Amino acid sequence: MSENVILSTHGLHKSYGKGDGRFEALRGVNLEIKQGESVAIIGKSGSGKSTLMHLLALLDKPTKGSIELDGENTSKLRQKQLNQLRNKKFGFVFQSFFMNANDTVLNNVILPLKIAGVRPGERRRKAMHALKIVGLDDKAKNKANDLSGGQKQRVCIARAIVNDPEIIFADEPTGNLDSVTGDRVEKILFDLNHKKGITLIIVTHDPDLANKCDRQIRIADGRVVNGKAVEDEDIVYAKKPPTYYTHDSGDTDADGMLDVLEEDA
Amino acid sequence: MKLFDIIKDANQNLLRNKLRSFLTILAIFIGSFSIISTSAIQAGVNNFIDSQVDSYGGDGYLAIVSKDSFDALEGLQGSMGSSSGPVEYDPDKIQTGMSPITEEQLDKLKKIDGIDADSIVEEKNISITYVTSDKTDKKYLIGAEALPPGNVKVDLEAGEQLDLRADEYQILLESKYVDALGFTNDEIVNNKIKLVVLDEYTHTEKTFEAKVKGIIAPGVVSMGQQYTNNKLADDIYEENTKYYPEEVKSQVFAVAANYDYEKYSAQEMKDKLEDIGLSAMTIEDIIGTIKSFFDVILTVFKIFGLIALLAAAIGIINTLFMSVQERTREIGLDKALGMSSKRVFFSFSLEAIMLGFWGSVVGIVMSMVIGNLANAAFHAPGAFLETFPTFQLVQYTIPDIIGVTVLIMTIAFISGTFPARQAAHKNPIDALRYE
Repeated sequence: MSENVILSTHGLHKSYGKGDGRFEALRGVNLEIKQGESVAIIGKSGSGKSTLMHLLALLDKPTKGSIELDGENTSKLRQKQLNQLRNKKFGFVFQSFFMNANDTVLNNVILPLKIAGVRPGERRRKAMHALKIVGLDDKAKNKANDLSGGQKQRVCIARAIVNDPEIIFADEPTGNLDSVTGDRVEKILFDLNHKKGITLIIVTHDPDLANKCDRQIRIADGRVVNGKAVEDEDIVYAKKPPTYYTHDSGDTDADGMLDVLEEDA
Repeated sequence: MKLFDIIKDANQNLLRNKLRSFLTILAIFIGSFSIISTSAIQAGVNNFIDSQVDSYGGDGYLAIVSKDSFDALEGLQGSMGSSSGPVEYDPDKIQTGMSPITEEQLDKLKKIDGIDADSIVEEKNISITYVTSDKTDKKYLIGAEALPPGNVKVDLEAGEQLDLRADEYQILLESKYVDALGFTNDEIVNNKIKLVVLDEYTHTEKTFEAKVKGIIAPGVVSMGQQYTNNKLADDIYEENTKYYPEEVKSQVFAVAANYDYEKYSAQEMKDKLEDIGLSAMTIEDIIGTIKSFFDVILTVFKIFGLIALLAAAIGIINTLFMSVQERTREIGLDKALGMSSKRVFFSFSLEAIMLGFWGSVVGIVMSMVIGNLANAAFHAPGAFLETFPTFQLVQYTIPDIIGVTVLIMTIAFISGTFPARQAAHKNPIDALRYE
């Protein structure tokens, strides 16, 4: 695992509204995320963790402070460059999937490539490869709506990795899934992190998921509060190795997926 | 994102809510149907009138008489119910009859800038006693005049145009004479008919054998007239006037001339002629009223069509606003995954343009189908255009079709910009939070 810093923030502030109604969502966040790390951003609702993720993912601009991606200050970038960065370097996985329900699985995965202007043959090949990684290549022609929740989230992961991103942002990726399917989605995400070295930034309420990450960044009242007293959630803040990932997990699908990842590596 | 992908997506998005898209297209269809239909009728009428104008002398044709004759004609019209009231008698003017154009005036006319001196011909009233042929014993009355000079194209059903300067006798015949003289259209062309002039003093007949060059299509301007070439007209005139004293014979009452219509307006020419005591009428003066009558009616219909399009434009705005609302999350996702605001705007605008495109295509196709059926129906035996076989009431021209399509797509695009702008301004975060 490389020790290069891929993403860092300096005195990040974000506020909404004006005057009396002004609300400070973030009040000076400084953090560094290294390439290939898996990081959990945790905190209660309204703590500012989602706002932080949106800023890190360049979906929004900070009121004050700066974000550096690969050592470059992103505040100087124009909108077009930001769009291209998101398209090429980032992958997104959302709690409620966000898919075009009436379109095919394949077309949903293709979307980022279509936006990037990749040729039809090439994008089909890449999308099929991404679907193979999440073990859904046999469902490519199905309508997205006909899939189960777990399958939908795997399609979203396929969509997130189809552009070979450097960072995957996952906003409560298992929030809408039961524990069995949730585990499987987590396993795929961590596989990608370990095998392909994709940096993983996960926003979550789920302490188990947070614990599986290399590191946890806890947000409270718009600030990073790592090392302070544990409040309501049973979360271990110390850096510890991931507990989830093992080769003999018993998941029958797992071997096939791993093969694909190993072929890639 | 490639243009092809955007167009494909726009069409697919329209298919997602088929009923809504269909109803919007239907509204556009009503507007496009009425506009293209009126344009087609206007083209048909104008084309017919133009062919009539051509058969009278075309653009640049001037019918010239002396000013006194013109006043006399006006006076006659005045006494026949014009609103300007009766004209008072003036013993200094000859207002009851035609007065000839003088030699001096003719010389001046030839020197006027813009008048083609070679085109000036005297209009001779020729009188033929009857017409007959080898194939029939019957004799029919007939009226004829020399074809005016210039670029004249008589609207023909069969045969070809006259050779004005030919050394033989040539005539263009109205179709009603074909049967009567014992021929079919195909047979009579290039065949000869007999034009007979009676000498009223000696009661002898002189026969002119004229070759039929073509059959005149029935029209509004040429009704009741046959056209001859110069030689036939000159010789019949000579026969008609052989007992006239020389000074009467040489009198010219009317001339036809061509002017350079690309350089001068009709009014400029009229003013120049006025200066030498001549009055002129153009084709527009003669049949302009028919044209302006049609133009007014068709303009009213076009305005109705535009009002229908305006309503359709509101339909487009409404449809797309609903679509933007429904697809808020999708737009958010597209933008999060790197689609630019410009692209989002463009893809919604394109949906509007597609609605306009399909609406206008359906309207044009329907109008063409109905229009051609109507053309056929109007020319059926007993229908009102039966006697005008060359009058196609509806005519679809490529510029009209392209023009209407572009107009409607432009209106659709402008309507689409409101919802498209709303879509483009959506913030990906807000859009993705939207439940």
